[in-house]
Amino acid sequence: MQYSNPHIPEGINTSQQNPLREFAILTGGLLVIVVVVALGLSLLVDHFANRIPFSAEKALTRRFETTTASQEMETYLNTLAQQLAQAQDLPPEFSIKVHYVDADTINAFATLGGNIVMFRGILERLPNENSLAMVLAHEIAHIKHRDPIRGAGRGVVIALALTTVSATLSNAVTDQVLASGGLLTALQFSREQESEADATALESLTRHYGHVDGADALFEVLEKESSSMAPPEFFNSHPGTETRIERIHQFATTLTGPEKIELTPLPPRFSDWFKRKEKKPAGASQRLP
Amino acid sequence: MLLTNIEIIPGKRITKHLGLVQGSSVRAKHVGRDIMAGIKNIFGGELKGYTELLQESRDEATERMVEQARAVGANAVLNIRYSTSSVAVGAAEIFAYGTAVVLE
Amino acid sequence: MQDLITFLVLLTFGYGFGRVIEARHYKSIISRENKFRGIPAVAIKVPPLGRPFTVALVQGNVVISVDYFKRFLAGLRNLFGGRVTSYESLLDRARREAILRMKEQAASQGAKLIFNVKLTTSSISQGRRGQIGSVEVLAYGTAIIE
Repeated sequence: MQYSNPHIPEGINTSQQNPLREFAILTGGLLVIVVVVALGLSLLVDHFANRIPFSAEKALTRRFETTTASQEMETYLNTLAQQLAQAQDLPPEFSIKVHYVDADTINAFATLGGNIVMFRGILERLPNENSLAMVLAHEIAHIKHRDPIRGAGRGVVIALALTTVSATLSNAVTDQVLASGGLLTALQFSREQESEADATALESLTRHYGHVDGADALFEVLEKESSSMAPPEFFNSHPGTETRIERIHQFATTLTGPEKIELTPLPPRFSDWFKRKEKKPAGASQRLP
Repeated sequence: MLLTNIEIIPGKRITKHLGLVQGSSVRAKHVGRDIMAGIKNIFGGELKGYTELLQESRDEATERMVEQARAVGANAVLNIRYSTSSVAVGAAEIFAYGTAVVLE
Repeated sequence: MQDLITFLVLLTFGYGFGRVIEARHYKSIISRENKFRGIPAVAIKVPPLGRPFTVALVQGNVVISVDYFKRFLAGLRNLFGGRVTSYESLLDRARREAILRMKEQAASQGAKLIFNVKLTTSSISQGRRGQIGSVEVLAYGTAIIE
């Protein structure tokens, strides 16, 4: 019996293809699937969110009633909000309630049940009523578009879907891809909502004041305050400030009106209404849920 | 003691079959080895610590099988097989078994 | 964001080092296979009859780990199904290495032939969620010493 040991050619049990190619195809494919699914779910949520009556939203937030830091400020803000809501043709079943919060945060947001929260930080930095109206009109537009309930529903559904998928796969590495893909889609969606809210806000400002001058002051404030380390637009929920200012100027050119435009000043006693905590340490603190 | 995994040895006659003999060894790796292995898991390559650990474990299993064979009075173990199974996280059982016989 | 950077760094390191280590290992395997070409290893149970010889059990084992990049690739493959090419070379290397170690042991005992070679593969659970990252291959057989 002859026993021999010949040479066997390489590459029969292994593939010679570069693994980077496979990596690119698989990662790309997975990202596309995640984005498509997240987009589909978002559209589905949007569709159903519009059918939820506003009264249900209101009922949900009814128990979060708060006391205010400054009655005068809230009265003023709510009066302005009502005028802007009218200018925006807000359907009668929608009710707007503006809350004033004594905090340095440079922010304002609209939430479920037609509630709008304005922080002292942003109010202090606004130069005139037109820019303040821009902030309010923007938030009212969110409520008109049902963005708070859409956002909440979308967040819940996407988080649920991601958890289900990653639990089924129980694969640590793919979680990374899933999470980043889903997040980027959600951000893109909310950027669209911001742009729409800006557009609606500008229209209502035109109806109320007859012009949109002063609206860009808000974004100039934001730009000044934001650090130079601002992330690129793709990773942010809001469109870039410069983009937003540009859009306002673009919108302004479409309007015809008197050459000389008078900006509406803030009420003379506006700065007295802040009632900072330093001045009134006792009993002034309040916080929204 | 003659150990082999074939069944017939030319020129030698089996005079007596003594049945199955077996040896097993369950071993766990220590933390140091785990840490090294964790690093290797990023770069790839041989985990020498684990190779040695499993080899020691296999030697012990073989040794125990031989001890059984010696106890029943055999002078050879034929048709030896090895199997590995993980009984718990970080611990592996190595099992060796074969047929104990008496050769001429 | 920080997670993503760590992840990308690990991926790049895994790819770079993994490729170098694999290429080096294959080079060593091929050169040693040529060195031990004189010792055939067969998977036949019946030994050559007629000639008298002595026998000895010989074995070789190795534990090899896959790199981070390939493990990630395999994880992705898990979603789509199909050929997991990243584990192919791992198993190929492990089997050939184990056989070579068995042959080395046989050569040191002066054997010219190994009979009834058996190969067993077992995975060693490792890492988060018990993901398989490394395999052990054992090769054993009966060395025939004339």
